[in-house]
Amino acid sequence: MFGRWDDEDAGIAGTITAADLTADDAFNRLALRVHAVQRATNPILRRFWDTGPGARPAIWHEIPPIPVMAFRDVPIVCGTSEVVFRTSGTSGGRSRRGEHHVPSLALYRAAARGNYRRHLLQGVERVLMVSLIPDPAVVTDSSLARMAGFIADEPEVTGAVWAFDPVKGVDVDAVRSAACGSDPVLLLTTAFSLVHLLDALDSRRLPLPPGSRIMETGGFKGRVAEVDRDTFYARVERALAVPAFNIVNEYGMTELLSQAYDGAAGPHAADAHGSVPPPGSSVVRRHRFPPWVRTRALDAATLAPLPPGQSGLLSHFDLANAGSVCHILTEDFGCTTEDGGIELVGRAQGASLRGCSLMAEPFLRVAGR
Amino acid sequence: MSAGTPAEAWVWPPDLTRPDALQTSTAGGMSIGYPKSDHHLARIVMSSLADSRERLAAMSVHDLVNVLGTVGERLADGLDDRIVAEIAGNAGFTPAMAQVVVRGMADSWTTEALHRLLRSEFTDPTVLDGFVSDAGREIRAVAPGVTLHIGAGSVPGVTITSIVRALLVKSPVLAKPGAGDIVLTTLFARELHRADARLRGALAIQYWPGGDPGWESWEREILTRADQVVVYGGDDTIESVRAKTPAGTRVIEHPNRLGVGIVDPGAAADADDQAARAVALFDQKGCVSTHLILFLGNHGDAERWCGRLAARLEALSSALPAAAAPEGDLSARHQLRGRLAVQRAVSGDIRLWTGNAGAWTVALAPPEFVEPVGGRTAWVVPVPDLSGCVDILAPLARVLQTVGLAGLGARRHEFGEALIALGATRIVPLDQAPFPDPDWLHDGSRPLGELVRWAELR
Repeated sequence: MFGRWDDEDAGIAGTITAADLTADDAFNRLALRVHAVQRATNPILRRFWDTGPGARPAIWHEIPPIPVMAFRDVPIVCGTSEVVFRTSGTSGGRSRRGEHHVPSLALYRAAARGNYRRHLLQGVERVLMVSLIPDPAVVTDSSLARMAGFIADEPEVTGAVWAFDPVKGVDVDAVRSAACGSDPVLLLTTAFSLVHLLDALDSRRLPLPPGSRIMETGGFKGRVAEVDRDTFYARVERALAVPAFNIVNEYGMTELLSQAYDGAAGPHAADAHGSVPPPGSSVVRRHRFPPWVRTRALDAATLAPLPPGQSGLLSHFDLANAGSVCHILTEDFGCTTEDGGIELVGRAQGASLRGCSLMAEPFLRVAGR
Repeated sequence: MSAGTPAEAWVWPPDLTRPDALQTSTAGGMSIGYPKSDHHLARIVMSSLADSRERLAAMSVHDLVNVLGTVGERLADGLDDRIVAEIAGNAGFTPAMAQVVVRGMADSWTTEALHRLLRSEFTDPTVLDGFVSDAGREIRAVAPGVTLHIGAGSVPGVTITSIVRALLVKSPVLAKPGAGDIVLTTLFARELHRADARLRGALAIQYWPGGDPGWESWEREILTRADQVVVYGGDDTIESVRAKTPAGTRVIEHPNRLGVGIVDPGAAADADDQAARAVALFDQKGCVSTHLILFLGNHGDAERWCGRLAARLEALSSALPAAAAPEGDLSARHQLRGRLAVQRAVSGDIRLWTGNAGAWTVALAPPEFVEPVGGRTAWVVPVPDLSGCVDILAPLARVLQTVGLAGLGARRHEFGEALIALGATRIVPLDQAPFPDPDWLHDGSRPLGELVRWAELR
């Protein structure tokens, strides 16, 4: 299993995305089954799990999580990878980028597709995709670019404009041309690129056609360019004429094949996965993963699980990571909610007071690592 | 300080008018207040300090030692629980740790210690008072004028040591304490102002948030007017200060450093105890703090020794507890431990010992995994011999400072030669690593000698 992505593995993909995994029992059964396969096929994971607590887990959360930083050190894959996704930055000063070895793009597409369709394309008949995320043909190792490529293939998408170049940045003229068309636009962007677009427009407006939607992701987790998200969305609405209920934030990471969204775009797009609260609403936007992902907030000191409402380090168990490793301890901080959502706080902050002892980042520079 | 009232993060010479507008912020969880950025005020403070130079120069170095030593001793003797708690809260230490740290630092501020420091640097300390004969000529040591101290970080007492050195060589001081070193520094300054009228005009304390664009004009003003600058901090801080300081103004740099231990446990049965203390003190925030321990021996012996080191660190976590770490630091430690556990699954030659709730970590690992993360993390690397040590330390030459030795006996000279060739400047018994002697050669320089210029009269 997972050596080559065969029929049985495809069956797993189908099971993950099609089965009703909202019930804990069903999720747990599948989680333990996938865990057993990962344990059997990846000797590194087997030794990691066998030497720590939780060598024989009875429930998914007894499986020790892999720290997300470990993706920078060793390939974590069950079998042969079809594609390797790499993290974009060198946060923490480490020169090595994280690598997610993915044995099956089909599973990635399956995990991403239902979710982005539900949150971005509900009620859409025709849409022109404009992407400030790089073209996957240009940046082949970006999981986000690959997802943008999946979206470009959707039947509702009448055309795809790749308006971001990794060297030149945002192509404002391309966005301007897209705004002149009659089809509504689906703008896919990182928060960072969206800020760049708005800055390039300065005080001028570039109204996108009615019904246009925006998916923004990355970087800021609740804050965008030093302003809160509501203020930022108000600026987007003024500049691009896209109302806040048509702007959706996506939370994802290279090391996870599933994504969480903080609502479904559209004025009346409420479903089990949540709608975007109306403008001016005091309702806090909550991110939701698909049912094949479970998230816990853990006490930052002890890693003991915290009840809903209490903030801690987030760990995710993503069954779509069947080909690598499902349970991941992140560096993100947030809390779960009673209704199964997540409130993201951001990256956990380090000490504001530092001593005069050399710490990791400058040390690694000095050591040439 | 009553609850809710910001602590004063400034002490100006008493004859200066108290500014109307104060700015408040937090430092180490403590609310603080200090005069707002105003380059006119910066000019007034620097002029006032410059004017005090003559009065300071008229004091004999003997008097200076007595006044400064008395103030240092009084400060250490007067530390009650309330003050220690304030210092601890400001520095991010537990009171138990703050108590040990301040007492250890204060050993360098006594009259006796200051006399020792002077004698170690000047054959005749009165060379600071006037010309003295020296092999057919007369020589004199003079500080160039006002010294600006820019502190960084959170170890209480670092700023006082810097102030005392400047005043000893008769240089008035404007000191910006590190954000975690405000309480003790202001306490010292008030004590000094009370102690001797001649010194009242020679010391000003002012905290400001370094790197804040709102303080740019203030920084430029004082850097333009300072006669020499002593700066502590990371590369960014030092480069920024260097860039803003006029050519010709002496800049004395104390960058962040890495402490190392070299241990031969066969000849030092208590090396584990010494190492644990060197790792735990200052919660690894000091430039002298030990992060990396090179173990002279094989992997098996190192593994057994790490177990003993872990037991010592566990004991210290009760006797000398660490303050609660911020979430980001805790997260970094979980990531590190998890990464090492994964690496262990790959190669098998990594072992980890960890305390409850991240209180301490011992990592037995090959050198390529070493990454100082603080939080009482001891990296132990087995090495066969001296050349093994040199191979590991060579890439770190630029940041080496203190190397603590345990069990090396007569080999310490052989190791010492190799270590100074790499860049280490302080090679001491491991149990002495945390607290340097008053006359230590700080980052390779004589701490008073680097503050003065010499003149000769023939």
